[in-house]
Amino acid sequence: MIAPLHKRRTAFAIATAIATALGAACAPGDALALERHSGVATHDRVATPVSRTPRTAEGIEADAVRLLEQSTWGPSAALVAHVRSIGTAAFLDEQFAMPQTRYTAFAPWPATRPDTCIDDRSLPVTPTSYCARDNYTLFPLQREFFRNAVMAPDQLRQRVAFALSQILVTSGTEINQAYAMQRYQQILADLAFDNFRNVLTRVTLSPVMGNYLDMANNVKPNARTGVQPNENYARELLQLFSIGTVELAPDGTPLADGAGKPVATYDQDEIEGFAHVFTGWTYPTAPGAAPRTINPRYFDGAMEERPVDHDPAAKTLLDGRVAPAGLSMGADLANAIDSVFMHPNVGPFLAKRLIQKLVTGNPSPAYVRRVATVFNDNGAGVRGDLKAVVRTLLQDPEARGAVKADPGYGRLREPVQFVIAAARALDAASDGVFLRAQTGAMGQPLFVAPSVFNYYPPDYVVPGTHILGPEFALQNTTTALARINYVNTLAFGAAIGPDPTVYGATGTQVDWSPLAALAGDPNALVAKLDTLLLHGTLSAAAQQAIVAAVSAVSANDAPARAKTAFYLVVSSPQYQVER
Amino acid sequence: MVSTFGRPGGTDIDRRRFLRRTTGLSAAALAGSLDLVSLAAHASVVSDYRALVCVFLFGGVDGNNVLVPLDAGGYGQYAAVRGASSGVGLTQAELLPITPANVGVPFGLHPSLPELQALFSAGRLALLANVGMLTQPTTKADYAAGNRPDNLYSHSDQQAQWQSAIAEGVSRSGWGGRLADAMAPRAGQTFPIVTSAAGVTLFVTGTGSGPLAIPTSGSFGLAGFGSGAASKARRAALATLLGLDRDNALVAAAADITRQADALSATVNPILASTSPTLAGAFGGLTSSIAKELLAVAKLIEAQAATGAKRQVFFVSLGGFDTHNNELATHRTLFGQLSPALKAFHDATAALGMADKVTTFTLSDFGRTFQPAAGGGSDHAWGSHHLVMGGAVNGGKLYGRYPQLVPGGPDDAEKEGRWIPTTSVEQYGATLARWFGASAEDLLTVFPNLARFSPGDLGFLG
Repeated sequence: MIAPLHKRRTAFAIATAIATALGAACAPGDALALERHSGVATHDRVATPVSRTPRTAEGIEADAVRLLEQSTWGPSAALVAHVRSIGTAAFLDEQFAMPQTRYTAFAPWPATRPDTCIDDRSLPVTPTSYCARDNYTLFPLQREFFRNAVMAPDQLRQRVAFALSQILVTSGTEINQAYAMQRYQQILADLAFDNFRNVLTRVTLSPVMGNYLDMANNVKPNARTGVQPNENYARELLQLFSIGTVELAPDGTPLADGAGKPVATYDQDEIEGFAHVFTGWTYPTAPGAAPRTINPRYFDGAMEERPVDHDPAAKTLLDGRVAPAGLSMGADLANAIDSVFMHPNVGPFLAKRLIQKLVTGNPSPAYVRRVATVFNDNGAGVRGDLKAVVRTLLQDPEARGAVKADPGYGRLREPVQFVIAAARALDAASDGVFLRAQTGAMGQPLFVAPSVFNYYPPDYVVPGTHILGPEFALQNTTTALARINYVNTLAFGAAIGPDPTVYGATGTQVDWSPLAALAGDPNALVAKLDTLLLHGTLSAAAQQAIVAAVSAVSANDAPARAKTAFYLVVSSPQYQVER
Repeated sequence: MVSTFGRPGGTDIDRRRFLRRTTGLSAAALAGSLDLVSLAAHASVVSDYRALVCVFLFGGVDGNNVLVPLDAGGYGQYAAVRGASSGVGLTQAELLPITPANVGVPFGLHPSLPELQALFSAGRLALLANVGMLTQPTTKADYAAGNRPDNLYSHSDQQAQWQSAIAEGVSRSGWGGRLADAMAPRAGQTFPIVTSAAGVTLFVTGTGSGPLAIPTSGSFGLAGFGSGAASKARRAALATLLGLDRDNALVAAAADITRQADALSATVNPILASTSPTLAGAFGGLTSSIAKELLAVAKLIEAQAATGAKRQVFFVSLGGFDTHNNELATHRTLFGQLSPALKAFHDATAALGMADKVTTFTLSDFGRTFQPAAGGGSDHAWGSHHLVMGGAVNGGKLYGRYPQLVPGGPDDAEKEGRWIPTTSVEQYGATLARWFGASAEDLLTVFPNLARFSPGDLGFLG
């Protein structure tokens, strides 16, 4: 075949990068001591920075707020008090042990909507009035997501599952059935604290992913028609779900060859190898149906094997690994997943993305390496332990602290997070219906990413800077206005009552009373919002401006004063950035 | 709302360097802040109006089914691979015949593009064959030796490359944004040159003022402010907050976009809020997203007197072209939206008397494999065919060289029919940019690698 130009890491490239990263603690030849199978770097002597645990009451409170911004959908006064009393580690323990709030397992419906399944707008509404909306759009799943985000206690699991859903993406642009998308998102929620190898396996065998990236009913080469196996899942599994296009050092920085160019992780040969592995899998057989070689779309359960359509030939996998001919389908798949899972890129690739989704868009390479190291080995010899990774990520000194001085630190609150956090700050109760309708105008319709590349890429640079800010890809003149106008609706709009088209709807209620109680003292009112939403970082000038606007509201209208303060804080550019 | 993105590192455009070239000012004179408005005094401001409209077809359009040879030999090659059993074949009978005036070979357009067939016959549409990203003019041997753009078959990389015209390394700006930067002194307008109805992408990103992103429905402005004292005080406080904490780059970036939106809303909101009878007539009944985006663009063009814009670069998009399977049905749907929307847009510009001032063109990630993939689809490939539409276009012609439809043949980079482009994106863009008013010097910054390709002007405009 074609001679690859920059394929595969070379010993020299590895040596150079690692020696540099570790301060030349290792001789170049030691690079090969990097144990591929355990993933443990035998020469990793990364020092953990001195802990900067805050000591003052304000500092402890600020760090508690920041922890809640990173590990939940947003702080509330009660949660802040709780974290202050039990501390970071105990709070994370609680979250890891929290019973899961699962989605409703929506009933399967045919892939093609029957003519009888329509939206009946006549009153009174029943659970089945809106058949089309409730089964052939993502509406019921989306509103459950937002309802759980506001009120269900397994917050960290929800955050991690949402982060995973933006890395291993399926989208409502193609998966339009609620039950199908629910089955897929349930996998990520179920495995958020499990092992990443299990995530890769269950995602690969998900019929929803099989539909989205065309692995379902992918068949071996047909010499007569010239049809080749579909490459879509193979390509995106490698590029987006696991290793990326260039070889990485343990700290997430790209390796370079002797000419200074990045080293490709795979070439067309490997894509074709994986594409040929991913043949012969079909949709699950629907209950009562006769199993067919090529099953029609059905999304409950895992894809089924059809060896007659599987390519039995040898296949080129990563880093020179070759899957021998004649493997069973299960063995062929396990082999391929292993090839991916054991690649040294996975730790830093996943670590950086999870850090970006939970803490900051610009982690230091050292932070990435500390988290990747735990991915490689959780301390008990296990590779891929997501619970350990998430715990390490959140307890790391780069995440913790009362205030961060680095001007490049932080991330733009993404629309889903922004909408929910505003509601939680007001101790909201919500059925999720109103909230799910808000994020589309901000560029992030839930579970409907424009492509498998998510709503935004991990390497987007904030305009005019050299700072990574993935979420800024969604910040434009239209979406910026939409954010503020949402706050206006929440604060000054009419009460959000139950949607008459949704059976059992309860609407969204917020509680202004804690803030209204401080309306007589605008400084105290603003200070409370500063503490809860900005962990005390509001500048004196900003406080003054908000206090002036609050004071301009009649002192007899305490709720209006509270709403004015809330509107200004939450609409501010200072609050748009989580840091 | 789709977006593609700039990446860290790589080749920034040096504003001082290009300004020195275009204005002749010394380095000393340019030391200090770069104030394009004051420099406009040294550059003559244009008196006419020109607009470029980029239609990005996300996913990688299978050009093999957009433009099909209809001569016996050519269609024979097509049918040998894309016959009835291939799952992606188009029959001779269903293709819409066109006769490019400059080649002696009949071609057919996809059956769902009848409006484009009519525009082509009327000389308002030009077709460009086998366009793609190249590091240099490339043969099969060159490709085998590794001379090719980075990450050829990756969506994100190729979208970034088509939008930036940078084939190696990464770029944090797009050629639409760089073109806007280059034209800014001569446009002499306060209204942003770049407007997108499809979110902010790399294409529209330059180093000058940020692009305007407009919605296709709903209002464009801050809601909830009245004339009372409390309302005004709240408005003032928000304005103050938007100007504070500039030392934090992330806060400043978030604030700048918000302030730009607020500042433009008084002008933009009335334009978007209503639809004139002229535009309603042209777009009547079209409800697709691409039609709505083009209607919003048409409104801004129509309101050119109110915005004071002389030069505008617009960005719209249509997604869904990553046809790994089900290509025939997907194309029927998507082309069924695209074709009438483009016609409506052209008709609108004609009704406004501005057809020759607006040029619309397509871009896409890449083409697709000529050989089909399981499921009635095709995989990622390279060169593909594109179209340019407008009153100034030398239409009714096929520009460039159509590939030999032979898998593994002389035009195939690999073996499944991934055509090595014979026209580069730089040549394509430079032809558009020249018409837009870019000077030879401008083109060096907008398309840094243009000199590697010849001709620098493909001839489909002016």
